[in-house]
Amino acid sequence: MKRKIARKTKPARGKPGAKISARKSAKKSAAKTTKSGTKSGAKAKPRRAPPAPTKSDPLDALVVAGTQALRLPLDPAWHGSVKFNLQLILRLGGLVDEFPLPDDAEPGPVFYA
Amino acid sequence: MLDTPTTDFAPPTAAAIAAAVKSGQSSAVRVVEAALARIRERDPLLNSFTAVTEQRALLRAQAIDATRARGEPLGPLAGVPFAVKNLIDIAGLTTLAGSKINRDNPPAHRDATLIERLEAAGAILLGALNMGEYAYDFTGENIHDGPSRNPHDLNRMTGGSSGGSGAAVGGGLVPLALGSDTNGSIRVPSSLCGIFGLKPTYGALSRARSFPFVASLDHLGPFARSAYDLALAFDAMQGFDPDDPISVDRPVEPVTPLLDRGADGLRVAVASDYFKCKNGEACYAIDRVAAALGANRDIEIPQAERARAAAFVITATEGAALHLDRLRRRAGDYDPAVRDRLIAGALAPASLAVKAQKFRRWYREEVLKLFTEVDAILAPATPCTAPLIGQQMFTHGDVELPVRANLGLYTQPISFIGLPVVAVPVPLIPLPIGVQIIAAPWREDVALRLAHALEAQGVVAAMRPAV
Repeated sequence: MKRKIARKTKPARGKPGAKISARKSAKKSAAKTTKSGTKSGAKAKPRRAPPAPTKSDPLDALVVAGTQALRLPLDPAWHGSVKFNLQLILRLGGLVDEFPLPDDAEPGPVFYA
Repeated sequence: MLDTPTTDFAPPTAAAIAAAVKSGQSSAVRVVEAALARIRERDPLLNSFTAVTEQRALLRAQAIDATRARGEPLGPLAGVPFAVKNLIDIAGLTTLAGSKINRDNPPAHRDATLIERLEAAGAILLGALNMGEYAYDFTGENIHDGPSRNPHDLNRMTGGSSGGSGAAVGGGLVPLALGSDTNGSIRVPSSLCGIFGLKPTYGALSRARSFPFVASLDHLGPFARSAYDLALAFDAMQGFDPDDPISVDRPVEPVTPLLDRGADGLRVAVASDYFKCKNGEACYAIDRVAAALGANRDIEIPQAERARAAAFVITATEGAALHLDRLRRRAGDYDPAVRDRLIAGALAPASLAVKAQKFRRWYREEVLKLFTEVDAILAPATPCTAPLIGQQMFTHGDVELPVRANLGLYTQPISFIGLPVVAVPVPLIPLPIGVQIIAAPWREDVALRLAHALEAQGVVAAMRPAV
C-alpha cells in the first residue's frame, strides 16, 4: 500500500547545511486568523486495511521467517499489520541509509547533547 | 459524543499556591483537599488519573503545615499538588507504563528521583496519570484504561503519550505534572491541551526509577500552566543523579531568576522547509509568536526529514529490543497497535539502527552550528489542533496522514538530538495549539525566558478548561 508523502526528500549529496533567510510569509499568514473549527476533527476516516499477505512478496517471507527465528508469536491476523509497519520502518530507514557518512562516523548510542 | 460542560474555574498556578501557603493565606491541607475534591468531581470526565494517593498527600500536607507552624522555611513549591505519568515509580504502587502486562509487577519500592526532588521542594504528590501503552503513542488513547480526554472538548484527544498529564494540568486538576518525551510525548499533549511543557536537554533531568521506552531518546519533564511554574519545577529537579546512566554531571544553573530578563537581546528565527506549517491554526500560532518576538528570519534545520526518519528507526528497533521477551510471553496482552509495531521493529535490520545512530551525531553537529546564528528557533508543536478520539487520519496540507504516526512529525527531529524545548500554548477558540521554542543544549533559560515574555504580552496562555 502506498502512502502519500508530504514532501520530496532532498538529495543527500551536496551541501546539506542550513540557510537563513528573511521571513517572507509572516505577514501574509498572520493575516489569516483562522480561529474557526479544525479541519482535523471533521474528517475522521476508517483505518486503512493493512495489506494482505501475498506469496510472492519477499517481505511476507521475512515477516514469517523473522518471527520464527526470533521465537516471536505471529497470529495470521497480525501479519498484515506487522508487514505494514515493517514497510514503514524500511521506507524511513531508506532515507537514513541513502545518506552518505564517512567510514569513521561514530554512532551515538549514549548521547550527550 | 459527550457534552463538554462549561465552567468558570480558573486554575491557580503553582507559584500562586506556594505563595498562599507560605504566607498563611491558605494551608497545604486546604489546597490538597480542594484538589482531591476537584479530581473526584472532574476526573470521571477527563480520565486522567489511574491512581490517587490521597492518604499520602494529606499526610504530606499536614507535615508542611506543621513546618510552617514551627516557623521553619518552606520550599519554593510548598503545598503545590502534582501528579506523574504512570511510568514514573511511586513507592507502594505498581508502575503500569500504560500497560496490562506491568500490572502483574510488584509495587515500586522507592519513588523516582524527580518525585523525591519535587517533594523536597515542598510539592505534594497526588497520584499517577494515564498514558499511552508503553509510551509508544501520540494520541493519549489507551485500550486498558480508556482514553484521557481533552479538557477543552471531551470528544477529542489529549495527545500522547503523556495524555493524562496533559488532561490533568489542562483540566486544572493539578497545577503541575510530570511526563516523558521520547519523540514528542510532552510537547504534543501540551499543544493539544493548551498548556506549557518543558522537554529538557537530554541528560538534564534524571530518569531514575521510571519505566523506559527508548533509552537513546527518553526524557522526563514537567507540564504546567505558566512558564514560571515550569522554571520552578525544573530548578527543583535539575542536577546530577548517579542513578541515571545518562545524567550529566555539571553545575546546576537555576533558571527561575533569569526569567525577568525577557526576550531582549535574544535572536529568534522560525524553522522553515520541513517545519513549514500546513494547517491554518498551526500557521496562525507560529506567525503570532514570531511577530511577538520580532523573529523576522527563517532558518533551515538541515536534513530534518531524515532526522525524523532516523528517530523513527531508533524508536522501532530499541523499543522492540526492550519488549522482545515480553512479546514472546504475552503478545496477546498488548494493545495490538503497539504490539504490531514492536514486532516489526524486531524484524528491522540492525544496520539501519546503527546508521541512524551515526546520522544522529552528524545531524547534531550541523544543528548546533545554527546556534551561532540564533539563540532560539520556533517551530509548530503539532500539525493540527486536537483530533477526535479514534480519528485515524488528518489533513496536512493537501495530503491525508495517519494521526498516530504523525502528530509528532514536528517534534521528532528536535528530541532526536536532545535539544531543550518549551512548548507554549496559543489560546485559540475552540481549541488551542502549541509552538515549540527550541534552544541550544543546556539553555533552558533561553526558551523559558522567551515563553515568559510571550506570556507577559498575552500571546500565549493556558486556557481555562471547558470541563
